[in-house]
Amino acid sequence: MARFLFLAIAALGLLAALGTVLARDLVRAGLHLVAFFFCVACLFVVLEAEFLAAAQVLIYIGAVAILLMFGIMLTRNAAGGEADLSGGWRVPAILAGLAVFAALAFGINNTVSPAGAGPWARVVERPALEPADAAWKAERSRAIDDMPRVVGEQFMTRYALAFELAGLLLTAALVGAVALAREDEAADSVAEPEPGAEARPPVATSPRPSTTTAP
Amino acid sequence: MDVGTALIAQSHRVDLSLSTAIVWALWLFVGFAGVFPGIVAYMVWLERKVAARFQDRIGPNRVGPFGLLQPIADAIKLIIKESIVPRPADGLIHLIAPVLVLVSAFLSLAVVPFAVGLAPIDPPSGLVYLIAVSSVGPLGIFLAGWSSRNKYSLLGAMRAVAQLVSYEIPQVLSTIPVALWAGSLSLVTIFDHQATFGWNAFNPPGFLAFVIFLIAGAAEVNRTPFDIPEAESEIIAGYHTEYSGMRFGLFFLAEYLSVFVVGCVATVLFLGGGAPLPFSAFPRNLIDGSLGGLVAANAILLTVFLLKVLLFIFVMFWVRATLPRMRIDRLMNFAWKYLVPLCLLNILLAAAWFEVVVRPGRVVASRWATGMIVLGMLTAGAVQLVFRVNRRLAAAAPIDADWPTVGSRAARAGR
Repeated sequence: MARFLFLAIAALGLLAALGTVLARDLVRAGLHLVAFFFCVACLFVVLEAEFLAAAQVLIYIGAVAILLMFGIMLTRNAAGGEADLSGGWRVPAILAGLAVFAALAFGINNTVSPAGAGPWARVVERPALEPADAAWKAERSRAIDDMPRVVGEQFMTRYALAFELAGLLLTAALVGAVALAREDEAADSVAEPEPGAEARPPVATSPRPSTTTAP
Repeated sequence: MDVGTALIAQSHRVDLSLSTAIVWALWLFVGFAGVFPGIVAYMVWLERKVAARFQDRIGPNRVGPFGLLQPIADAIKLIIKESIVPRPADGLIHLIAPVLVLVSAFLSLAVVPFAVGLAPIDPPSGLVYLIAVSSVGPLGIFLAGWSSRNKYSLLGAMRAVAQLVSYEIPQVLSTIPVALWAGSLSLVTIFDHQATFGWNAFNPPGFLAFVIFLIAGAAEVNRTPFDIPEAESEIIAGYHTEYSGMRFGLFFLAEYLSVFVVGCVATVLFLGGGAPLPFSAFPRNLIDGSLGGLVAANAILLTVFLLKVLLFIFVMFWVRATLPRMRIDRLMNFAWKYLVPLCLLNILLAAAWFEVVVRPGRVVASRWATGMIVLGMLTAGAVQLVFRVNRRLAAAAPIDADWPTVGSRAARAGR
């Protein structure tokens, strides 16, 4: 049953991923991506990690996908027709995808299983949680009952470096976004004379002189 | 305290046996396909009656006594009406969008503990689940607006996404104190926690969180004064302009269902679920293992729960009948400059309340009184601070700076 579920979900996920790459329409591609994220969440549920599934839906569907759609709507003619999405970037994109795949395969292949749990590639029947005699079984039962806490502890201890790196990346993205937005704003405030604007240093890149007089 | 985990339906671990399947099937066919749509139908009737009273009218009174059969007539009308899809619309997405919105509203109900043992499921991270499934709704709204190929729909969708994404943040942040005090994300544990420590809305940080949750909740379900995504007078109903027949009915159902969900979640998180009295185990101490005790306790819990939800629903109707629609820039300002800083301050206050009152593990009268007085003053100070800083910022800006300027930079430069 579990294996059948896994195969079905994985097949759907692969189909959705293919759809993301092959769709001619940006919004459709985004929708396929949503379907793919949802399949990943389903896989988390099959693995008894429902906190991760909820987080996956919350972050990837609730936030990333919606921002993606918002971005599409703000940058393109939203009702516009089809577009060639990859263009000249096809080869670099394939290379990047293969690189990510290789990194993931390497990481998963070298992952360290808990003592007594067996390697990831071996097919084992999932043992019952009760009675929890083995130490790793007790840990698994704790992880299922109190997953947010366990995930948080792991983030702060074992995966602290990755966690901090991700945080750094996001901060950099945020600062970059603010910088882009500020540039527009600075250009605006020069073009529009207002009290206090003279105190600011003039922006050299402004295309318009700041001496426009208000009527 | 242990009552909540004594029943199968509220255990974190679900065994996929036949009895679980029967319970879930009952929930699915009786609850989700029968009772909840029925509640929605009569909420619409209630809203029409309440709004009519506020406007000095009578409201629906033709179909059945007091117009009680009106919702049924409306439902039949919606179902048999022709569903018109505009020719340029993206057919499949046009169909999926209302379904996504409705599914999001229905899924949120799956973790609400209506009474002891009456929660469809109780995942250990129920609160995250709730936030996750309710964040799918904006996607459906966006797709509805986008797939209609109508500029009003698209405008409505843009407004909807901007508003819903902004108000999701204070809504989520305002639930953090609750999770902090209960030490768990499971709604059943939060419900149990309030039996010992009093309702969460009845302490200063909890009250602030409760108010923020209600405001953000009203914005999340697009009720007036936050209904700019579907402003009838500006963008002719926004994202569902191009929907008719039962597809429109699905949006309608989802909207009222979301109102019900917000009421349920606020009741569970802040008003002690179905408990009629704070600091009392009253209906739960009827549960002594016998079937009669369980039924009696659950009847009381369920009645009180539904009465509390009805109160929330009434307040939403009341606000809708009273307040005009907000302007979009003020709406965004309110979320980002008032609610989010208040939520962040409130998390600090909630931590202080946790240390003072919750840490000992039971309610100590002296500590509780200290916490109420000190944190009450601190909370009032935090609200004062945020409002004062915002006033000062607004006063420093030039007059009309908050007025939305439409047009190019050149037009503004020439002003």
